[in-house]
Amino acid sequence: MNPLILTIILMTVFLGTMIVMASSHWLMIWIGFEMNLLAIIPILMKKYSPRAMEASTKYFLTQATASMLLMMAIIINLMHSGQWTITKVFNPTASIIMTLALAMKLGLTPFHFWVPEVTQGISLTSGLILLTWQKLAPMSILYQISPSINLNILLTMAVLSILVGGWGGLNQTQLRKIMAYSSIAHMGWMTAILVYNPTLTMLNMLIYIMMTLTMFMLFIHSSSTTTLSLSHTWNKAPLITTLILITLLSMGGLPPLSGFMPKWMIIQELTKNSSIILPTLMAIMALLNLYFYTRLTYSTSLTMFPSTNNMKMKWQFETKQITLLPPLIIASSLLLPLTPMLSILD
Amino acid sequence: MLKIIIPTIMLMPLTWLSKKNMIWINTTTYSLLISLISLSLLNQPNNNSLNFSLMFFSDPLSAPLLVLTTWLLPLMLMASQHHLSKEPLIRKKLYITMLAMLQTFLIMTFTATELISFFFLFEATLVPTLIIITRWGNQTERLNAGLYFLFYTLVGSLPLLVALISIQNLTGSLNFLLIQYWNQALPDSWSNIFLWLACMMAFMVKMPMYGLHLWLPKAHVEAPIAGSMVLAAILLKLGGYGMLRITMMLNPQTNFMAYPFLMLSLWGMIMTSSICLRQTDLKSLIAYSSVSHMALVIVAVLIQTPWSYMGATALMIAHGLTSSMLFCLANSNYERTHSRTMILARGLQTLLPLMAAWWLLASLTNLALPPSINLIGELFVVMSSFSWSNITIILMGANITITALYSLYMLITTQRGKYTHHINSIKPSFTRENALMALHMTPLLLLSLNPKIILGFTY
Repeated sequence: MNPLILTIILMTVFLGTMIVMASSHWLMIWIGFEMNLLAIIPILMKKYSPRAMEASTKYFLTQATASMLLMMAIIINLMHSGQWTITKVFNPTASIIMTLALAMKLGLTPFHFWVPEVTQGISLTSGLILLTWQKLAPMSILYQISPSINLNILLTMAVLSILVGGWGGLNQTQLRKIMAYSSIAHMGWMTAILVYNPTLTMLNMLIYIMMTLTMFMLFIHSSSTTTLSLSHTWNKAPLITTLILITLLSMGGLPPLSGFMPKWMIIQELTKNSSIILPTLMAIMALLNLYFYTRLTYSTSLTMFPSTNNMKMKWQFETKQITLLPPLIIASSLLLPLTPMLSILD
Repeated sequence: MLKIIIPTIMLMPLTWLSKKNMIWINTTTYSLLISLISLSLLNQPNNNSLNFSLMFFSDPLSAPLLVLTTWLLPLMLMASQHHLSKEPLIRKKLYITMLAMLQTFLIMTFTATELISFFFLFEATLVPTLIIITRWGNQTERLNAGLYFLFYTLVGSLPLLVALISIQNLTGSLNFLLIQYWNQALPDSWSNIFLWLACMMAFMVKMPMYGLHLWLPKAHVEAPIAGSMVLAAILLKLGGYGMLRITMMLNPQTNFMAYPFLMLSLWGMIMTSSICLRQTDLKSLIAYSSVSHMALVIVAVLIQTPWSYMGATALMIAHGLTSSMLFCLANSNYERTHSRTMILARGLQTLLPLMAAWWLLASLTNLALPPSINLIGELFVVMSSFSWSNITIILMGANITITALYSLYMLITTQRGKYTHHINSIKPSFTRENALMALHMTPLLLLSLNPKIILGFTY
């Protein structure tokens, strides 16, 4: 794509999210979402194949529906409270509709069906933007309306998302679909704690973004989109296999890596609020996630997968640039001792 | 306590910066020195614990386990030298780094005061062990073994996390030094029954108790020698140590909640011993023997009398040394014949007589021959379970008999009789291997002169 056009489009995506996060008028928020949506469609279609067109269409339709639902909730809120300022939404109908709209934008169950298919149809870099940057805007609105969200709906969606995210990823070999199901499960963890302690939602978002960024950077570096092609990395770049191992185990939530920190804090907050069965169930369902991450590490780093004889003589394309990989690796694996510092997120 | 933890952490830069021909020498020497430091902890002057800081302490229960852990690292390094000799240098260094990392986590686990930090490090020991089993094991089944190991332990221990946090909400602190003074009876309610279950299941899976033991034969058999040694000697004892610590907070539910687990352990000890008699795989036999010995420890911990605690602690230390030695002996067979089938390498006494002496000593301690500490542990457990209920003597007696049967079966099959004709060209025993066995056996025999130090905090 022409670099100038690409810059303008990326700036519009950035600007859209910034408008959502910084406004105090509901209409501006809706405008920010639309700007974000319209600008990201060309990025999703960078590859220009029928599959990419299908993915972008699905993304556009779901996000536009969600924006329309959001607009309806805003109007109902306007009708009942007479003002456009962002505060907690007092009317229950408007609150429920807004929660459902934002859940559609995030990809929570039962609105999760678009996430794997859209992520699969686009390139790795676009998938990266989709799964990390696009989650920021809806999550910031959820954070701001968190005192008024109906707990039953949100917790049901959260627990179902964790279940679907774990179960759905079990049969996948395509890496982008694995990352999509992982995103669904992590969104579930984030929204489960939203009503009790929104700071932990932000912590989980931060750690999740760092881990997903790391994973995508590693995939981009080895140009692999399937488990099979990832299993060739021991031949070409053995260090990447170790990094993939560490990051995947961190995403699965194993101590002593930093992926354990959000899960531990969320379980602690939920237990403090006297719900005991819920965090136990959530923790056990997160083990489904861990299973397919471990399976991925088996084929990549812990075994030397059989490959053809002339693997070392493969075409060596120019090294893809991976920005900021060392700090990201550190952030996604070693942050656990810094847990007391999460008070800065308040 | 930092005087042990920091040198163990520094073993990792030591391996990466050592020259190619010095890595084994450096790491083995320094880990032996670290184990010397830990011996000073065995001096427990008063009835209370030695408190080093708010975060680390050591009492008569954790000190012997700590000494065992630090003693075992040089032995693991010595045992791994042969099978890693053909690997590239970076992989050797990675292996030693994994072992050092595992050692750090184990030391911190045994000395942690806060129960949450104990849990956290308990889980953290899974990652290096998984990597050691899956990356350096030898057969295809190791992948399945790693999965079973990881998931059995995690499913058991995640409810423990929730239980610990809810206990912290109720009582305000999980610091072990405080809890032993604050202890109150747990009120009788359904949710406290589930709390009991959540606290204990993690350790039951780790021990392992009979119904949940499926991961152990797989993991022990598929792991390389250092993995098997650390699994059998230390990681199983983590379960026992955790149970000993946490049952203090769980009265009076333990009086009735313990019955199903006692029944399972008593029956399981007979079943796993009997299975040992029918095993063809040598490592699998030793693995099932571990399950059987640990079932005795579970019975002892759940009975909760002073004598049974002494028996449990002594049995843990004794079994750690014996089981690790048996795995080293099995590995010396495996390195020569590349097969774990027992009947393929028979009659080794004619070919390797000194090794046969070690086999004899190991089998004799495995069947709890007097005056070894194995006997002291088993005897205390049998006596306390007899006083708890007279009928258990039948099962305990049967177990001791069957243990003797399979230990002697293992000894006679591998050592006595006519040797198989295809093994008359095996290499003689290396000095390294003889040193390894001696270093296992010497503490075991010397402790029988002064078993007071391993009898735990109820002595």
